[in-house]
Amino acid sequence: MSLGLYFMRVKCLLRNMEGIFWCYIFPIILSTCLYLGVSKLGAVEEFETIKIAYVVGEAQTELSKEAGTAVSQEQAELSHEVGTAVGHNELLSVMKAAKLSEDKYMFDITLCSSKEAVDLLEKGDIEAYIIGGDRPELFIKENGLNETIVKSFVDSYMQKQITIKNILVSNPEALNNGLIDDLIGQTDFVDISDKHKKPDNIIIYFYAILAYTCIFASNWGLEEVINIEADQSMRGARISASPVSKMRLFACNMLASYTCHIISVILLFLYMKFVLNVKFGDELAYLIAICLAGSLTGLLMGASIGFWIKKKPAIKEAIIIAFSLGCSFLSGMMAVEIKYYVTEKFPLLAYINPVNLITDAMYSLYYFDGHNRYFINLMLLMLMAAVFTVASYFGIRRRNHDSI
Amino acid sequence: MLVNVKGLVKRYDKLVALDYLDLQVEEGEIFGLLGPNGSGKTTAINCILSLIRYDKGSIEIFGKPMKPNAYDIKRNIGIIMQNVAVFEELTVYENIYYFCSLYIKDKIEVKRLTREAIEFVSMEDYADFYPKKLSGGLLRRLNIACGIAHKPKLIILDEPTVAVDPQSRNKILEGIKKLNAEGATIIYTSHYMEEVEQICSKIAIIDKGRVIAQGTKEELKAMISLGEKITMELYELPEKNINELKEFPGIYSVEYHENLLEIKSAKGRNNLIHILDYMAKNNIIFGKVYTELPTLNDVFLEITGKELRD
Ligand SMILES: Nc1ncnc2c1ncn2[C@@H]1O[C@H](COP(=O)(O)OP(=O)(O)O)[C@@H](O)[C@H]1O
Ligand SMILES: [Mg+2]
Repeated sequence: MSLGLYFMRVKCLLRNMEGIFWCYIFPIILSTCLYLGVSKLGAVEEFETIKIAYVVGEAQTELSKEAGTAVSQEQAELSHEVGTAVGHNELLSVMKAAKLSEDKYMFDITLCSSKEAVDLLEKGDIEAYIIGGDRPELFIKENGLNETIVKSFVDSYMQKQITIKNILVSNPEALNNGLIDDLIGQTDFVDISDKHKKPDNIIIYFYAILAYTCIFASNWGLEEVINIEADQSMRGARISASPVSKMRLFACNMLASYTCHIISVILLFLYMKFVLNVKFGDELAYLIAICLAGSLTGLLMGASIGFWIKKKPAIKEAIIIAFSLGCSFLSGMMAVEIKYYVTEKFPLLAYINPVNLITDAMYSLYYFDGHNRYFINLMLLMLMAAVFTVASYFGIRRRNHDSI
Repeated sequence: MLVNVKGLVKRYDKLVALDYLDLQVEEGEIFGLLGPNGSGKTTAINCILSLIRYDKGSIEIFGKPMKPNAYDIKRNIGIIMQNVAVFEELTVYENIYYFCSLYIKDKIEVKRLTREAIEFVSMEDYADFYPKKLSGGLLRRLNIACGIAHKPKLIILDEPTVAVDPQSRNKILEGIKKLNAEGATIIYTSHYMEEVEQICSKIAIIDKGRVIAQGTKEELKAMISLGEKITMELYELPEKNINELKEFPGIYSVEYHENLLEIKSAKGRNNLIHILDYMAKNNIIFGKVYTELPTLNDVFLEITGKELRD
């Protein structure tokens, strides 16, 4: 097929405002919104120091008030006495030492009597209070994030305490080998539960936008069918009446569509990487490769639907949009949990969902060292592309139509 | 014979769109396919071009059977569909260039032909316009230019003048005549009898997917009994006189309503003189008088019992 027809088709596609908007502009807007939303979200979710009260065991009130002021960070960081380490005031020390970040403590602790603590909680000056002792008790008023953090902290502490006791019973030597350091020095409590997870989820959304852009190629594939089939458009009738091999012209036009589409994906990728500074990791070539495969699969999928669903063009367009949105939804574009749910409960659905294959391949690049999972996804995607190629081939071979 | 369609049958479920349609088009003709909306003209064209499947019949073009991949036949056909078929994203020039390059490989030749086609439809000033900036008439002319740029031997036009202003319409009809004069054979479908009468050298009238009459316009008019239609303005005409007029030789229909007397007579001479003579003798005062020769509408009316345009 002549190069001229290819370039003419490229020209056509690049001048089609609708296609350009949805493929070139819209994903950029979407990712920008996501970026802005996330940075705002991050600001809100930045953890604040939590105000709590600590009631030292009633019998030792006087003593512990003193002790409370005397408890220092050093003490918490490394206790030197077994008694202190597992004793009931140790929780207080640990809580005092816990940090959200370098210069931010996790808890702002007021030492007081249980009466005062009840008052403070009632007034809302504190979020929780703890009555110390062998089995510290936690009192909260509402159920919120901060309350949950305090509770998890205390629970976790108790857990560890039991562990230490058990270890010491069976192996008293352990204490000298930094056991307490290992177990109680858990100042990165929040870090573990939160900081790592957050960027993960966000990058999944960027992956989802990339994957959606890839699968949007299905619209372009469908347009190529509408453009060439006599029963789909007047242009199609004119082309069908001309002395060109439809198979070859279609291949040429699909190539043009593919060219224009992958440019949009690559531009989006560059925008995310260099303008939004999304941390995609080092394996960019793999990432781009999966995008190229995804775009091809999308294009051919759209073509197959175009050839084999016997409906008016407008209905086919609606089907394609619904289908690609559905795939994106199931792959966790709106909420990552859906992706996990589908993968767990309906693994087959996850394996035949091209958007999921794309995001999963990207995801596996980010999280796993090996490339096995990546290649499984890539192979499945290419397999789908092959199936759709065959479907398109037989679609176009049907030559003439029952009606126009 | 350039186009030979025999016994073409096309059904859409229960609806028979083409009912053993026969068409023979000779080289050099402007062949008119005249029929009301829904009579099967477009369906016939789509079958001839192998765009749709048909149930029965055979189609030969340039003496060879027409098939979807009969590229050597298609190369010499130009089509202008009843709806405009162009790319919105391409300019006038690019559209013509694109469609022409589907037929001709040589780039320089395509460029030359594109220029010629633009000139042919007098759209030099609009070469860089996008289709959505063009008026209906100009759009039709672009549609035609896209179909004829490659200088086909056979040009098929399906109602190219629907929704076109009179000026553009005349330009289009002139253009078709010119293409024919340059050697192209033309198949022209329309439901406007005036157009068909004006340009076609041979006409097939179709109704319900069947050819009901075929020939030159003179032959078609000779087929029917009507020879002349005489209309008179009259303020009063007693029943008695109407009945007497009906007795005249050659006159087979006399109708009087809303002050108009319409008399249809068979072919023959002096019909008008006899009638005027009768009016004078009976002291019937009349206003304007005019006579008309039969039109293709009358042919259609007489054969099918209904008007061409509903
Ligand atoms: N795709 C189709 N499906 C069903 N019926 C059709 C279709 N196309 C045309 N027809 C019917 O076939 C008949 C002929 O239509 P058509 O060839 O378009 O007439 P014309 O071009 O003379 O106006 C009409 O009755 C029309 O309703
Ligand atoms: Mg029609």
